[in-house]
Amino acid sequence: MISMTDFLIVSAALFCIGLYMVVSKNNAIQILIGIELMLNAAVLNLVAFGKFDRFTNGGQMFALFAIVLAAATTAVALAIILNVYRRYKTIDPNKVDKLRD
Amino acid sequence: MNLTHPYEDITTVYYALAAVLLPLFAFLVNVCLPGKRNKISGWVSTLAILISTVLSVLVFAGIWNREPLHVQTLWFTIGATKLYAGILLNNLSALMLLLVSLVALPVHIYSTAYMGHDENYKRYFSYLSFFCFSMLALVVVDNMFLFYAFWELVGFSSYLLIGFWFTKSKAVQANKKAFIMNRIGDVGLLVAIIILFTYYHTADIVQLFGDNAAVKATQISALWQSIACVGIFLGVAAKSAQFPLHTWLPDAMEGPTSVSALIHAATMVAAGVFLLGRVYPMFNSAELDILAIIGCFTAFMAATIALTQNDLKRILAYSTISQLGFMIMAMGIGAYASSLFHLATHAFFKCLLFLIAGIVIHQMQHIKDDNNLDIDPQDIQHMGGLRKKLPVTFIAAVIGSLALIGIPLTSGYLSKDGILVQAFEWSDSKSWVYRLVPIFALLAGLLTAFYIARLIVKVFFGELRLLKHHPHLKIHLGDGGWQYRIPLILLAICCFFPLFSINPVIYEQSWIVGGLKQNIILDRLDIYHTIIPVGATILNVFVMYFAYNMYVKRKTFAFPQTGFLYNLSYHEWYIDKFYNTVIVKPIMALSKTASWFDKYVIDGFINLLKNTVLILSKIAAFIDKYIIDGLLHLLTAIVQQIGNFARNFQSGKIQYYLFSMLVIVLALFIYFLF
Repeated sequence: MISMTDFLIVSAALFCIGLYMVVSKNNAIQILIGIELMLNAAVLNLVAFGKFDRFTNGGQMFALFAIVLAAATTAVALAIILNVYRRYKTIDPNKVDKLRD
Repeated sequence: MNLTHPYEDITTVYYALAAVLLPLFAFLVNVCLPGKRNKISGWVSTLAILISTVLSVLVFAGIWNREPLHVQTLWFTIGATKLYAGILLNNLSALMLLLVSLVALPVHIYSTAYMGHDENYKRYFSYLSFFCFSMLALVVVDNMFLFYAFWELVGFSSYLLIGFWFTKSKAVQANKKAFIMNRIGDVGLLVAIIILFTYYHTADIVQLFGDNAAVKATQISALWQSIACVGIFLGVAAKSAQFPLHTWLPDAMEGPTSVSALIHAATMVAAGVFLLGRVYPMFNSAELDILAIIGCFTAFMAATIALTQNDLKRILAYSTISQLGFMIMAMGIGAYASSLFHLATHAFFKCLLFLIAGIVIHQMQHIKDDNNLDIDPQDIQHMGGLRKKLPVTFIAAVIGSLALIGIPLTSGYLSKDGILVQAFEWSDSKSWVYRLVPIFALLAGLLTAFYIARLIVKVFFGELRLLKHHPHLKIHLGDGGWQYRIPLILLAICCFFPLFSINPVIYEQSWIVGGLKQNIILDRLDIYHTIIPVGATILNVFVMYFAYNMYVKRKTFAFPQTGFLYNLSYHEWYIDKFYNTVIVKPIMALSKTASWFDKYVIDGFINLLKNTVLILSKIAAFIDKYIIDGLLHLLTAIVQQIGNFARNFQSGKIQYYLFSMLVIVLALFIYFLF
């Protein structure tokens, strides 16, 4: 039987991988993938904790809601990346540093 | 204007004023003229002095032996004392006015040619006109302060003209010497004027020394009176080159010869005698005796020096000193009229002799330039035999010399023998010591005959001595143009008796003596009046013959060129050397010490102060630069570092932001966990 802790470990590992990707990758798509990984870690957590709410299935519902939202944000993020590419001819976030002082 | 003597016609005064101011006008015009060698300047000056001469003749005709004219106007007021300035025309000033302009005119004409090749022709005539103005003003002013002002101005213009060729160092030395010597005299005169003003509250010459002379009416304390007289004497001695202040005059010959003729022979040096004539009543008999002795000594000393000099102009300069000594002596013995008479006659013949010297020097200069010789054109040892080349000059020179010696029929005879006669009469009433004065004066006269005969013989007789050493000289000499001849002829005519007296042998009948006598009975009282002129003439002729033999025929022995007396004369009685050792050198030493003190002690102290301040300020600058500025820089550096540190967070890299956010969140998390 798979215990609750195993879910949480997998979720934490996923989250750390996602975080590492977000911080270290040079490609905006990969960063986006990292973000998706972190989101999925959160979703995994929601599903895992959903066993304590067997009647309303609030956890399952919220996970579905988060997945839909993630798809929406990914679409927006890809659009942004496309625009960034058009403007800067690169999607390396280190080179798009117009935000600095 | 107010007239002290109501006089209907003051045109004469205007004439005199115009005569005085015309040269000043010429001076101003010359200053404004363009160019250094503007030929117009010579004619402006000459025309001015010509008109001045004509006006002076008119003034003279209006004044001589008539009521004196005295016109004055209020000059300024100090407290209650009113000072008047004006013109005093009496016999003396009218005579001097005429004399100065009459001598200045030929000199101007002569100068137009003599200075013609000088590049500073215009400056020369400006100075000359300025001198004429000062001198003419000097003789007509009625006020001692104005007199002093013009006295200074003639001294100043003389200074300018002695140093006319100021690129020659000798000329600069000479004009400095003349200036300093005259300064001593000027201080004396100023002291005398101030003493007189203090006691009599007036500087008016008429009130002080006129008919009711203040100096006779009220006696001042003997001490102050003596000081005033010494002051006047110093002024006279400096201006008229009397011992002990005579040494500037021979050196003053560095100026142009025409200047020497006008200023240092005829007019300015006579200003001292003129001053004596103006202030004559203030001297008492003891002071007059001293004056006579000094005059006599100067006359004798200068005559002995003139015997051995070789510089043509220097001989004439010493001759001038000697003749001025005669005039001063004449003043001392009471021969007031004779003194001024001698002044007038001397002015003409000495001016003539100087103009001749100028021509001779010019001709020698031409020989020198034509043949590239290295000789002094003024040295009479090179000259000789010029009488055939320069006939007019030769005749004029002989006339001038005979007048200087005092041969009958010349003017010099009348004036000089008059002085000698009166000197013998004067010494009669005194002890035997005073007998030396006329005897030395007579001796000086004989020496005059010798040295001037030597001069004439060496210059005009025999053969040109230069030819002995340089046998192939190119020589073309001549008297020069009319600008040279006319002045010589004019002055030569003035050397004869008719201008001064109808009777050629009796000086008492001269009109100048008649016009200037001061209650002295001019009768032929005693044997002197006959014996002295005759004796002096015979001796003079003998001396001249002796000199002629000695230098032309070489019959008699030649004087040894060694020995004490020769050296004494040749070195001008060692007076210059004495002054150099006793006065100049100590003063130079003193000023060198002062200069040393100034340079090393005072300047040293100031330098020390300077260096101290410099070091202090360097320290201050160091503190300012490295400590105060350093602090500020440190502060800014810190702020900059902090700023840079803070900037690092704003790198614009999203991942960096994210990472820092993660670190902070983790840090907070860890912080709250424990």
